[in-house]
Amino acid sequence: MRGVSLNILLAIVWTLFVGEFSLRELAIGMLLGFAILSIFPLSLGTGGYVRRTLAFVRFAFFFARELTVANIQVALWALRPHPPLHPMIIAYPLRLRGDNGQTVLAATITLMPGSVAMGFNPERSVLYAHVIGAENPRAARASLKKVEDALLPLYGQDATTTPLENTA
Amino acid sequence: MNDFNAARDIPILLGAFFVLTAAIGLIRFPDLYSRLHASSKLITLGSAGIFIGVGLEFAQTEALTRLAAVLLFQFLTTPLSAYLIAQAAYLRGLEPLLEGPDEWNALGKAALLDEHLEERGGG
Repeated sequence: MRGVSLNILLAIVWTLFVGEFSLRELAIGMLLGFAILSIFPLSLGTGGYVRRTLAFVRFAFFFARELTVANIQVALWALRPHPPLHPMIIAYPLRLRGDNGQTVLAATITLMPGSVAMGFNPERSVLYAHVIGAENPRAARASLKKVEDALLPLYGQDATTTPLENTA
Repeated sequence: MNDFNAARDIPILLGAFFVLTAAIGLIRFPDLYSRLHASSKLITLGSAGIFIGVGLEFAQTEALTRLAAVLLFQFLTTPLSAYLIAQAAYLRGLEPLLEGPDEWNALGKAALLDEHLEERGGG
């Protein structure tokens, strides 16, 4: 929380300096504030916030790329005769713990190549997904693992910490 | 036809193309679960393309903030509804047409754990 609050505070200070309170100046202030927080992470205690924000940006790029690939792939399957769907339902053992991370993972794989999340086991340690276009369950699990790997730096493996508590 | 604006019209055309393929996929894919792939992924990117094109057409702060909110909720709600539809259909016993395994149904917990350990050991 400390990192986010400091960043917003710095953005407001920036709008005071510029003398113009607009969405554009606020956005510039956020960027400049983030630069300050990443230059002085030790004295400000914002290392965790900076790390997680960068991990989020990396995930956003990864997500945009995968979403585009997924769409071109499914669009081609929709148009060609006899699409090689090979539908199957796979079980994926989760390393992500905690509601936030698992929710984001389920939502993300639904938008990504060839998989739609269907459910969790009662212990919330396995994700069930309907998969099309994968050779075998192992290949399908490998593509889900890529997504989970991208999310792990954001949400961590510890069940007891929510992402907001990590920043303190 | 004379006022073709690439930055505005290409996202809209791409979006319309993806929405069209979503409709075709919805008809052509064999069962509910496969059709969800078409409706969730393709509709999301298709409507995102159309929204971005419309936002660039107006190119004002108010339009762009609303656009961002619409996109955010689109990305939040579409996977959720696909998840709920798939889960409800499966739990109520709608048989999926499968060419591979159904590990939700077939695999016992022990078998899954064995395979998991094997994969981790190999990697």
